[in-house]
Amino acid sequence: MEMIISYILAIVSYMLIDNVVLSRFYGICSFIGVGNKVKSAFSMGLAVTFVIMMATLVCYPLYFFVLVPAGIPFLDTLVYILVIASLVQIVGLFIKKNSPTLYKTLGIYLPLITTNCAVLGVVQTNSDASLDFLTSLANGLGTSIGFLVVIVLFACMRERMNGYNIPKAMKGVPIALITAALMALAFMGFGGMVG
Amino acid sequence: MDQVGYIILAISIVVILLAVFVISFVLYMRTPAPKGCEKLGIGPKNCEDCNVEGCMIYKQRHKKEE
Repeated sequence: MEMIISYILAIVSYMLIDNVVLSRFYGICSFIGVGNKVKSAFSMGLAVTFVIMMATLVCYPLYFFVLVPAGIPFLDTLVYILVIASLVQIVGLFIKKNSPTLYKTLGIYLPLITTNCAVLGVVQTNSDASLDFLTSLANGLGTSIGFLVVIVLFACMRERMNGYNIPKAMKGVPIALITAALMALAFMGFGGMVG
Repeated sequence: MDQVGYIILAISIVVILLAVFVISFVLYMRTPAPKGCEKLGIGPKNCEDCNVEGCMIYKQRHKKEE
């Protein structure tokens, strides 16, 4: 029971306290670029969640059972990039073949996931901190749900801001960055929630 | 394993992963897009969410709106 609670706490911690976008500053490009409309932000968040989980599942055994025993752990970043790029292509291939609706929703966002550093950040953290397999999965799940929550909340706020009278100089990216900063301050309030 | 063995192993792992990427990329490009999704690339319809003000499509879209 204690183990389950510790994994749940790890997920909550990676999701809210150590949030991938607002605390670790990964995935800012897609956060600003796609976090404009709730529908596309949700699609992007789901796609990133799927790829992060798949990358964690593939990269963990590759690092601990191939690279480390072979004495070549320095190749980790290169291997992760290739694995993530291949995974995105394979996921895209299946979506293209089997689910036209999902392909239409995610089609233009799929290549963006390859360049999303949040995916690389998760697998790199897993190997750098030598996390065990279940904690790595908890890290992946918490990080990806954190990304999904933050990008959807951000898109909701930006949609509402469209109706406000914002000075011309602040329109677009400047006001988006201020919103992100205020969100980061708000998320700091979660600090200390998990001991 | 000696140093040469490590180098060969490292190169072979990278080459295998590169081959997997190239094969998946080629398969992805060769797979026909579903009906109605043939043109999902850059265009005024698909770029509604984007805010990159330096882009030509963004400028064209906002000129029309003004």
